[in-house]
Amino acid sequence: MQRISQLASHLTKTHPKTFLRNFTSKMASNNSNIHLYTVGTPNGIKVSILLEELGLPYKVTPISFSKNEQKEPWFLEINPNGRIPALTDTLPDGTPINLFESGSIMQYLVDRYDTEHKVSYPRGSKEGYEVNNWLHWQMGGLGPMQGQANHFFRYAPEKIQYGIDRYQNETRRLYSVMERQLEKGDYLVGDRATIADFACWGWVAAHHWAGVSLDEFPKLEAWLHRLLERPGVEKGRHVPSPHTAFDMKNKSEEELEKEAEKSKAWVQAGMKADAKK
Amino acid sequence: MTATLNPPKPIRVWLTPPGPNGWKTIFLLEELSLNYVFKSFRFDDVKKPPFIDINPNGRIPAIEDPNTGLTLWESGAINQYLIEQYDTEKRLTFDDVINRNLCNQFLQFQMSGQGPYYGQCGWFQHLHAEKIQSAIDRYSNEIKRVLGVLEIVLSKKGEHEQWLVGDKMTYADMAFVPWNSRLSEVLMQLWDEVFEGTPRVRAWHEKMVELPSWKRAMEHRARLMDEQGLQWNGVPKGIETFTEYEEKIEKGEMKYD
Ligand SMILES: N[C@@H](CCC(=O)N[C@@H](CS)C(=O)NCC(=O)O)C(=O)O
Ligand SMILES: N[C@@H](CCC(=O)N[C@@H](CS)C(=O)NCC(=O)O)C(=O)O
Repeated sequence: MQRISQLASHLTKTHPKTFLRNFTSKMASNNSNIHLYTVGTPNGIKVSILLEELGLPYKVTPISFSKNEQKEPWFLEINPNGRIPALTDTLPDGTPINLFESGSIMQYLVDRYDTEHKVSYPRGSKEGYEVNNWLHWQMGGLGPMQGQANHFFRYAPEKIQYGIDRYQNETRRLYSVMERQLEKGDYLVGDRATIADFACWGWVAAHHWAGVSLDEFPKLEAWLHRLLERPGVEKGRHVPSPHTAFDMKNKSEEELEKEAEKSKAWVQAGMKADAKK
Repeated sequence: MTATLNPPKPIRVWLTPPGPNGWKTIFLLEELSLNYVFKSFRFDDVKKPPFIDINPNGRIPAIEDPNTGLTLWESGAINQYLIEQYDTEKRLTFDDVINRNLCNQFLQFQMSGQGPYYGQCGWFQHLHAEKIQSAIDRYSNEIKRVLGVLEIVLSKKGEHEQWLVGDKMTYADMAFVPWNSRLSEVLMQLWDEVFEGTPRVRAWHEKMVELPSWKRAMEHRARLMDEQGLQWNGVPKGIETFTEYEEKIEKGEMKYD
């Protein structure tokens, strides 16, 4: 009963921490009503970067991992997978749409709103398929593998050297694949920054947290900074909270360990909860 | 049951037979009855030319479509290309905005939520030499969680629409089949234990493996595995463990007639 009333209150009221972005700029047409549920992680900032790049007005609700909000019934209504990001919007005919998986959210947004193809290519074009190729590579490879490196290097309850090595090496290998691609041009596909670049950006920016250095990857490092110069990337990376990935390099291992403690608590609690089911 | 647009020249599908991801693409090609040929090769060569020139990431599958001149890798991206290009009747997808995006969403959930964790679980369970229980537990629990998410999705659908999107099977449903078929070996559990608490997921999965297209895909797999003399886990007959296999590849000791 309590759950139901909680859910109802969330559907009727706005979350107390919800805030607005870009509402002063020209309103997007066609019933647009974008609402992003997010945290300032590599997967979360993909979407805010894209929204800023496109200059779209949107509502943001920051989710609190330490309160396990991503597993609350009202959030699971939007994303049964209990992970951020998630996005809701209204279609031109008034029907609501809910989406999860950062990659599919990005594709939805460019399909609908990037009609001038500033950060995408037309659907069905060769470059369009190639962007999809790299997007899937990020979603199925770079994200999960660097995520596992973070896990074994920063969050795991016991230190397992093999786990650390395995996923740091795989992350390094994946970086080298990007490095080779960037030897051919400034962006992953063609002549412009696309959602494939934005999808990878937050992960590469967080390399130090995973314990991987960019020293061997000069093209990748140049790409990282090339993108950072874009106003959209700069704004979007700080949603919903300041982006701290670059500060990590200046911290001592002790300070980093302290940082990790905060995440350790909720990550390990989540693992325990899943183990009981 | 034929797609309206069948490519006149066969699509070349590069794969090494053991891994599940290649079969995701073959399942779709079979279901759409598209014209394709296998470029089956050994795992030993996955990070070497000619394959590395086709896919710089050195992972299977990859396709070359001589009809459009396109080379693609990443099974999810390949399957979406095949659907857009050749499923012109939208038999395994939808045309409206919502359902089209939902198919994409569930495909990406498969790519990023199912594949990587099943893969890591299988690795720690069978291929890694040393038994690391906490890693096996981490990934087994994640698999159970993913099955639970799918169960919730299906439980919200009506009795006659037990599919992830809309009221028919789409390429998103099909994408889950290759890894779910491996659940018993990945979790080291009996089929009944695997699906404890997720009866809808079981029924959904079992409906799809009954399709002639999946059966044909698995016949091809058996033949190609045999051709390379591979055991069930992808290790060549006569070699004990995957570690030993990797060492032999490394040292250039894998010789074939
Ligand atoms: N493939 C998903 C991954 C999302 C993901 O891993 N989200 C993390 C934060 S970066 C999360 O919400 N974790 C919460 C949890 O596991 O409880 C996507 O790209 O959207
Ligand atoms: N439940 C997660 C909590 C940590 C988490 O969500 N990590 C995210 C990064 S913030 C992740 O690894 N995502 C994988 C992906 O993006 O595919 C776990 O145990 O790994």
